[in-house]
Amino acid sequence: MSDWGTYTLADFLMFSPRVYFRLIERYNQEFWPLQLAFIAGALALLVPAALQVSRARIAVLPLFALAWAFCAWQFLWTRYASINWAMSYAAAVFFAQAGLLVLTALLPRSPTDAGGLRRHGGIGLAVCGLLAYPFIALVAGRSPATAETFGMMPDPTVATTFGAMLIVGQKRLWLLLPIPIVWCVYSGLTLWAMEDLGALAPFAAVLAMLVVLVVGRR
Amino acid sequence: MTITRRATVQGLGIGALLPLAPRLALGQPTGILTRPIPSTGEPIPVVGLGTWITFNVGDDPVLMEECAAVMAAFFEGGGRMIDSSPMYSSSQPTIGYGLRKLGYPERLFSAEKVWISDAGQGGAQIEASRAYWGVDKFDLMQVHNLVSWEEHLPALLELKAAGQLRYVGITTSEGRRHREIERVMASQPIDFVQATYNILDREIEERILPLAREKGIAVIANRPFREGDLIRQIEDEPLPEWLAEAGARNWAQFLLKFIISHPAVTCVIPATTRVDHVRENLEAAGGILPHEKLRRRMIDYVEAL
Ligand SMILES: NC(=O)c1ccc[n+]([C@@H]2O[C@H](COP(=O)([O-])OP(=O)(O)OC[C@H]3O[C@@H](n4cnc5c(N)ncnc54)[C@H](OP(=O)(O)O)[C@@H]3O)[C@@H](O)[C@H]2O)c1
Repeated sequence: MSDWGTYTLADFLMFSPRVYFRLIERYNQEFWPLQLAFIAGALALLVPAALQVSRARIAVLPLFALAWAFCAWQFLWTRYASINWAMSYAAAVFFAQAGLLVLTALLPRSPTDAGGLRRHGGIGLAVCGLLAYPFIALVAGRSPATAETFGMMPDPTVATTFGAMLIVGQKRLWLLLPIPIVWCVYSGLTLWAMEDLGALAPFAAVLAMLVVLVVGRR
Repeated sequence: MTITRRATVQGLGIGALLPLAPRLALGQPTGILTRPIPSTGEPIPVVGLGTWITFNVGDDPVLMEECAAVMAAFFEGGGRMIDSSPMYSSSQPTIGYGLRKLGYPERLFSAEKVWISDAGQGGAQIEASRAYWGVDKFDLMQVHNLVSWEEHLPALLELKAAGQLRYVGITTSEGRRHREIERVMASQPIDFVQATYNILDREIEERILPLAREKGIAVIANRPFREGDLIRQIEDEPLPEWLAEAGARNWAQFLLKFIISHPAVTCVIPATTRVDHVRENLEAAGGILPHEKLRRRMIDYVEAL
């Protein structure tokens, strides 16, 4: 078909920003204060992991698998798919990512040590994903009830996952990075089509992760 | 849905005259204007209701109520045709919610689409759509964006022959695949064609509208406001002094009047989330219509903004 050139980004947006952000608001209200528990849980593992406590590092992948599965089930499948049919496929892909994280956790690990830059970059990304991401709603001029948090919403979960992978010096990144990167592009474009300033965040997360990965190569 | 007495009277009052003498009917104040569906003569109000984006509200109770209120105002104002598609996510269940709430108004003219490339699944998709709406059968089933139309159309025509549909149509938008639309119009016994037509997107005037008249095919004009962009672009501009001559009170009506004053257009389906807007849009189906010279002036005015 030759008419693809006639489509614009907005042609693919099938809901209004009002509907989308109300959906997030209602979701947040329903689960409050689970958001805090997710963030606290991630900090409880990532801080010791960053300090190279090996037991904490083992638990990182299962926790992230849980976060991906929760996003897939409660946000993408149960809620977002009601206004965007494509999200039932995205939910399946998120479950697959949760599976990949579990699988990777089960594979034999060679003792690794992330290089200094990667570790610091990872800490920066994780801090952004866990603590700064919720404030993007305010920066974008939205109600704080639309704040996106780790484990609840895909974007901060992805950003924090990038950070965690860098912190623990995760091997087999070729397996774990494609889905989060594709998601960030999709999510960034969706927010862009809604003219929301938050659109920059998923792109920035991918860019930061790739820069840290490349520059921190040893 | 059965045709209400009121709709019939309106149709005979003005709509029925249109194919014979469109100008005769123009310029005369009247109630809600109807046009006959050429294949049966059934009159249909020239303003319907679209549901893309506006009715996709998920299970948000507040927004579902807003949509039901829009539907209530639509039927109260004499509207009949509601257009949707399986592509519009929760718009179908939202319509179903509104119809249930309003007790399935007899006036409803349900216009749905089949939108699936695996034509073998078409029947199942139509059944799912029917269940969402909660109607016994659809009035009009259209092949959305020509998707697998070669397979879908024969199946739809069979459903029509079996009395499970009243009309069959095809759709496109934003100028896409017009040649193919023309081929279908020329070769298939369809009742409706749906395409984009508004004061700036007038390509269908060239061939599709004349062909529709020649073949006796009803025309549904979609994207009257370019999904709202058109109104947003011009809403702060001064309205022409001769606005009343076009039978309009504001920009939305100005744009709608332009569309429905083309004699080959059967109806236009603006979408809205607002009760005041649906009323305003329906009001454009009454009063006078701009004549040919004024239509040209309307184009020039908007193009110069
Ligand atoms: N391929 C296809 O089959 C196809 C393609 C496109 C469209 N369609 C059909 O055509 C319908 C109409 O097209 P569309 O939805 O793309 O766009 P549209 O009807 O051109 O524009 C809808 C927008 O116009 C605004 N609006 C409506 N009435 C207004 C008024 N009186 N004053 C100011 N603003 C007003 C609405 O905002 P408010 O909510 O604020 O009123 C809404 O955002 C669709 O809903 C769909 O059913 C079919």
